[in-house]
Amino acid sequence: MLKRRLLLAIGCTLTCVGLGFSSIAAAQDMTKASLRLKWLPQAQFAGFYVAQAKGYYKDEGIDLTINPGGPNVLTENLVAAGTDTFGLSGGTDSVFAARDKGLPVISIGISHQLTPFVFVAKKDGPVKTLKDFEGKNVTTWFTGSNYVLFGMLADQGIDQKKVKIQPQQVSVTPFVDGDVDVVTATWYNELNTIKSRVPEDNLRLFVAEDYGITFPRDTLITSEKVAKENPELVKAFLRATLRGWKDAINDPKGAVDTVMAVAPTLERPHQEAMLTEAARLMEAGSAKDNGLFTIDMAAVQKAHDFLLKYEVVKKPVDLKAAFHPEFLEAIPLSDRKL
Amino acid sequence: MTSTHALSDLPRAALRGVLGVAIVGLIWEALVWALNVPSHTMPRPSQMASAVAATPDAYLSGFLRTLVETLIGFAAGAIVGIGNGVLFSKFTRLRQMVFPLFVVSQTIPVIAFGALVVLWFGNTMLAKSVIAFYLTFFPVTVNTLVGLQAVNPKQEALLRSFGASRWQMLIRLQLPTALPQIFVALRLASTLSLVGAIVGEWFGDTTGLGVLLLQAMYNENMVGLWAAILASALLGTTFYGLMALIERTCVFWRNDL
Repeated sequence: MLKRRLLLAIGCTLTCVGLGFSSIAAAQDMTKASLRLKWLPQAQFAGFYVAQAKGYYKDEGIDLTINPGGPNVLTENLVAAGTDTFGLSGGTDSVFAARDKGLPVISIGISHQLTPFVFVAKKDGPVKTLKDFEGKNVTTWFTGSNYVLFGMLADQGIDQKKVKIQPQQVSVTPFVDGDVDVVTATWYNELNTIKSRVPEDNLRLFVAEDYGITFPRDTLITSEKVAKENPELVKAFLRATLRGWKDAINDPKGAVDTVMAVAPTLERPHQEAMLTEAARLMEAGSAKDNGLFTIDMAAVQKAHDFLLKYEVVKKPVDLKAAFHPEFLEAIPLSDRKL
Repeated sequence: MTSTHALSDLPRAALRGVLGVAIVGLIWEALVWALNVPSHTMPRPSQMASAVAATPDAYLSGFLRTLVETLIGFAAGAIVGIGNGVLFSKFTRLRQMVFPLFVVSQTIPVIAFGALVVLWFGNTMLAKSVIAFYLTFFPVTVNTLVGLQAVNPKQEALLRSFGASRWQMLIRLQLPTALPQIFVALRLASTLSLVGAIVGEWFGDTTGLGVLLLQAMYNENMVGLWAAILASALLGTTFYGLMALIERTCVFWRNDL
C-alpha cells in the first residue's frame, strides 16, 4: 500500500515537473523580436498593432515588441546596429541612403506604393500652376519630400533656385495663416489637418505622379544578419503583418480602437481618415495585382535613377542586394491580396 | 529662524502657493474667454482639465513613469556627484586627470547623447534614467567640490590637533560645511533630471509625459500639449519643493532660505 502511494507520488511529481518543463519549452520556442516604426503610434501603423493585439505574431512564434519612432530616431541605424530586429523606415530613398553609407540593412517589403507626399496651395492664393512656385514661399521636409519637389520642378523645367524653399516646421499653421504659399503634406496626416482648417474646395493639390514621379515609401527593413541567419523569422513576421493589415483594412473602426488603446490621446476622426488614406496608398499600383507590401522593382529602379541623377545617392546602389522580395514571395499570393 | 519655526510655516506657505495657482488659472480662463483667443493658440485651463479627464490613465501612467525615471536618474546623479566631489577634493591628481573629461562630456548636446543612449540601452527605463543622470551628476560634482574647498583650514587644523581621522574630518566637518552648497546643486538637479527623463522619452517610447508632449506636438493637439506641459510642471515643482523642504530640515542652521 505504502509502496503504491509512493509510486503515485513519484508519478505525480514527474508529471508536474514534465508539465513545468513543457511550459518553459513553449515559452522558449517564442523568438523575441522588435519592430521599430518610423513615427509615433498612429493609424498609419494600424496593421502592426492589430496583428500584435490579435496575437498573430504569437501564432507565428514571435514575441514582438513594437517600438515607436520619433523625430530623433533613425530606424535604419537601429536595425543595422541590431537594437531592433525589423523596422518600418522612411522609404526607398532612406534605404538607398543607408546602403550608400554601407549600413547592412535590406528591404523586405514596401508599404506605400505611391508617393505619400502632396504639395498644397490655396485656390484663392497666388499659386495656380507649378510654374507659379517661382518666387513664392514653399516649405518642405528635408527628409525625402524635398527630392520629390525638386523632381517635379525639374520635370517642368523650373529652376529650383528661383523657388523660396524653406524647411518645414511641425505645424501647418503658417500655411493656414497665409505666411507660406505652398506646404508639403502627407495624404494620410497633414492633409487631413489642413482640411479641418481650410475648406477643402479652396485647396489646390500638386501630385507627384502627375509629373511622372513615384516615390514608394514606408519600407519594411531588417538587417542582412537576421535575413541570413533566420529567414524563417522574416517570413513569419511578414505573414503575421499581412494578416494584421488585412484585418485593419477590412475593419478600420476596430483597427483605430486598437491604435487608440496604445495612444489614448489621439483624435479618433483624424485617425480614421488617416487609415483610409494609408490603405489607399498601400493598395495602389503594383499592390493591386501582387498584394500588400509588394516590392515593385520597376518603381524602385525609377526612384533610384532619379536620386542618382540629382546626386542625392553618390554611386549606383546594387538594388538586387538591397531589396529582397523572396521572403514575401514565399507566402501564397492569396494571403497577400485583400 | 529655527527649524521647527520653518516647518510650522509650511502648510500656510503651501496654501498660499495653491491659492496663487488657482488665481492665475481663473484669470487665464477669463482672459482667453473674454478675448476670444482660439484654442489652438492658447486653450483654457478647463479645456485642459477635460482633456486629462477624457484619458486619465494616459496622464497618470505617464506621470508615474516619468517620476520613476527622474528619481532613479536623480538618485544616481546625486550619489555619483557627491562621491566625485569628495574624491576630487582629496586627490588633486585624480581631479586634474578626470575633471576635464567631465567638462567635455557636458559639452555634448543632450539630443546627440540621447541618440547614442537609445542605441545602447534601447527603449528601456534605464535609458531615460541614464540621460537624467547625465544631466545631474555634473552640477552636483562641481558644487560638492566647491563646498568642500570652502572649508575653513583653521577648523580643519583644530580637528586634526584633536586627533580626528580623515573619515571623521569628512563626516563631522567637511561635508556639513559643504552641505548648503550641495543642496543648491540638488535643487538644480531635481529639475534637470526631469528634463533628462522627458528628453529621453523623445527617442521612441510609449509611456511618459515626454511621450504625451511629443504626440500632442506632432498632432497639433494644443490642448493636449498644454495639459502635458502642466503635468510636467506639476511634477517638477513638487520635486523641487520636496528638495527645498529636505534642505530646510537638513541645513537647519542656515537662516537665509
